[in-house]
Amino acid sequence: MNHQKLFESDISSEAAKEWRSKGKKVLGVICCHVPEEIFYAADVLPIRMRATGCVDSSEAETWMSSFSCSFAKAMLQYWLDGTYELDGFVTSDGCLMAARVFDNAAYINEREKKGQFIRQIGAPRKRSPRTIPFYKAELADLVDELEKFTGSKITDEKLKEAAAKYNEARALVSQLYELRKEKNPVISGADTLRITLAATNMPIDEYIELLKAFLADAKNRTPITDARARIMVIGSALDNPEYLEVIEEKGGIVVADALCFGNRGFGEPLVVDDKDVLGSIADYYLSRLVCPRMMDKHEEMHDFIIKSVREYNVDGVIYQRMQNCEVWGGENVLLEQKLKNQGIPLLTVEREEQMANAGQLAVRAEAFIEMIEKED
Amino acid sequence: MADVKNLEELVLKGEMTIVEFACTKIDGSIERMKERNPEMLWTMEIQKFMWDGYRDAHKNGKKLVFYGGSVPTEIIAAFDCVGFYMDTIPFRLSTNPALTAKYIDEAEKYVAPSMCGLDKTELGAWLCGAYGIKPDIFVYNSVPCDSSRIAYPALEKIIGVPTFSFDTPFRRDERGAEYLADQIEDFIAFMEEHTGNKLDWDKLKYYMENANRNFELQRKCADLRKHKPCPLPGRLLVLNGTTNAAACYPIMGDLYESELEVGQMMIDLGMGACPDEKYRIAMLQNMIWGNAGIMDWMQKEYNAVAVMDAFGFQGDIIYEHMDDRRDCLKVMGKKIQNNPMIHGASGPSEHHIKMVDEIFEQYDANVSMFLGHVGCKHTWASAKMVSDMVQEKYGLPTLFIDLDAIDGRYKSSDEIKAQIKEYFETVVMQ
Repeated sequence: MNHQKLFESDISSEAAKEWRSKGKKVLGVICCHVPEEIFYAADVLPIRMRATGCVDSSEAETWMSSFSCSFAKAMLQYWLDGTYELDGFVTSDGCLMAARVFDNAAYINEREKKGQFIRQIGAPRKRSPRTIPFYKAELADLVDELEKFTGSKITDEKLKEAAAKYNEARALVSQLYELRKEKNPVISGADTLRITLAATNMPIDEYIELLKAFLADAKNRTPITDARARIMVIGSALDNPEYLEVIEEKGGIVVADALCFGNRGFGEPLVVDDKDVLGSIADYYLSRLVCPRMMDKHEEMHDFIIKSVREYNVDGVIYQRMQNCEVWGGENVLLEQKLKNQGIPLLTVEREEQMANAGQLAVRAEAFIEMIEKED
Repeated sequence: MADVKNLEELVLKGEMTIVEFACTKIDGSIERMKERNPEMLWTMEIQKFMWDGYRDAHKNGKKLVFYGGSVPTEIIAAFDCVGFYMDTIPFRLSTNPALTAKYIDEAEKYVAPSMCGLDKTELGAWLCGAYGIKPDIFVYNSVPCDSSRIAYPALEKIIGVPTFSFDTPFRRDERGAEYLADQIEDFIAFMEEHTGNKLDWDKLKYYMENANRNFELQRKCADLRKHKPCPLPGRLLVLNGTTNAAACYPIMGDLYESELEVGQMMIDLGMGACPDEKYRIAMLQNMIWGNAGIMDWMQKEYNAVAVMDAFGFQGDIIYEHMDDRRDCLKVMGKKIQNNPMIHGASGPSEHHIKMVDEIFEQYDANVSMFLGHVGCKHTWASAKMVSDMVQEKYGLPTLFIDLDAIDGRYKSSDEIKAQIKEYFETVVMQ
């Protein structure tokens, strides 16, 4: 099976067109706290929205100002200019930028009578016996709304089936990441990101088949032997493989990450309690370690980063933070010292969604790689 | 009495703490005011009450509770603790840019420069060991913004005292109020555990009654501003921002009583904040803390008075059934959800739009300004929706000025004035 489609990271509306041609709905998803399992159960194609390749978000900027995160603005831009062929989108209040994408789009949707399905669910910022029922109630509202929108009943059985399907994808992505633990990995960081991004471009069933094919073929790939340093990349939403290519062209190889478009966006398997299926989904999504928006997960995230450094034999961590992305903007208060205590080198770089500062990144990445590279 | 520059030097050298600086500066202002404007002493009394209270909390045998974001201060007070609203540090220091610069620079060693200056100042000052007080308890909320959601959990770890955090939902609805009421029950249990006292409902009632009185008085002060000419100066709108720190204390009501008295007297005398009021400004965003003198300048230069801002609308949620515990906690939850500019502007944009619409409806404003703090990115991200409504419904273009409420290096007072001047001369006065 040709799995080349996994490496096409540009945003494509091909899958959406095909899905809609069957009379079914396609909805965008903004933020990793919107459970895609619910969409699958409603026979809706969820397209996790991103901003890859957006070079001009000026229209969105008139709505969100120059003080907003460029990733969020670019997503709004793509929605405004119709890059995505969607019937609407669902977001959570993942961060205030995502919330404002929703607010502005909902406002424009009403004003211009676009008639799109635009909804927001509230996702708590802590996991506790108080927050899980709240989130479950929000998800139940989403289930109700999707049932009305699609005319399709979302049963527990369908949700369990969806969870099993997404767990299959999660397991395959874990296998993909296992490949990166090798001394000479057969896949670069940029290509790994392309593969995880591809999940946003197609139905999960198709993605699973393609990923299976890739993994079966992985042993035939040529190992990368010329990398001078093994890098972990952490930080703000990164949906641009070229960014990692800049680092890799300078002699690094990105072998691990803590990125919401990387395996963090997939996460560990979702364990479903048959007695409370929606509650299990709610608990799972609040337990996942994806984004520092969760106020009670900073230390867990730091521990995960340190553990990954060990597991993937990382030489140094690059922490990229998008300008005006506050949720990822403050990790160094505690993380920097923790990494220092563990003897883990750290490079902190500012970034915009558009690749305007690639030259500067290249210079800094090269210097960092020279600093951390080890002689065999 | 040392002058402010000398005091600043002492703080910069680490020889004076922020709390000592604030208390000394306030005492100095009071002394000067006694000589020059004794009739305005009431504007300083609340500040003295607050800062002396923070400084002396432990001396007076009270536990000190640091809090960030919107939290039920009535409960903190009912446990006989002194609540210290952390935003009062950047608010207080905003007129001393050398100090805020020091703490912001310290914070920026770790955090992104785009983080809100309030949070950077709070964080940087703590990292410098400059507060001069240490809390026994820390309470914070997931509002107002992404900056604070990052700064407060970091402070929780750094300060290292028993901490409680609230999670406030984005939308404002019944589910959210119930959710917050549940969390307030947890907070009460937390306070009982860490103070060793049971909640005294009568004490809580006392503070809820105070809160009711204060918000009702605030509403009356706001209503005075509808009068033409507006009897109260724009600067007082900035002072009313202290409500978040003192909302349940009698002294806040005393401030409003004095404000009401002055306002009524001005009306009786047929006088306004401007000698010849021409322009009534609605402030869509009003974060001009470090440059509040600009309010006076606009009044003098253009006969333009800020009649209302989005901080001023707080008086519509009051406790009605004070013996009904659940109802009271839900009211507290609603207050958390609706606290203007704390959650007011960080919740759904529709509430901000509605609030601004009400200002234009009720205050007959003929100038629209958005003096936006660059750290409030979420407010900027709804600014077009708000200003479009103003343009379409009231036919007024909005002046947008980006400023930093805390970091004086971002834009000087003269630069802000130049932008306002150009707007008045090329748009408003044409």
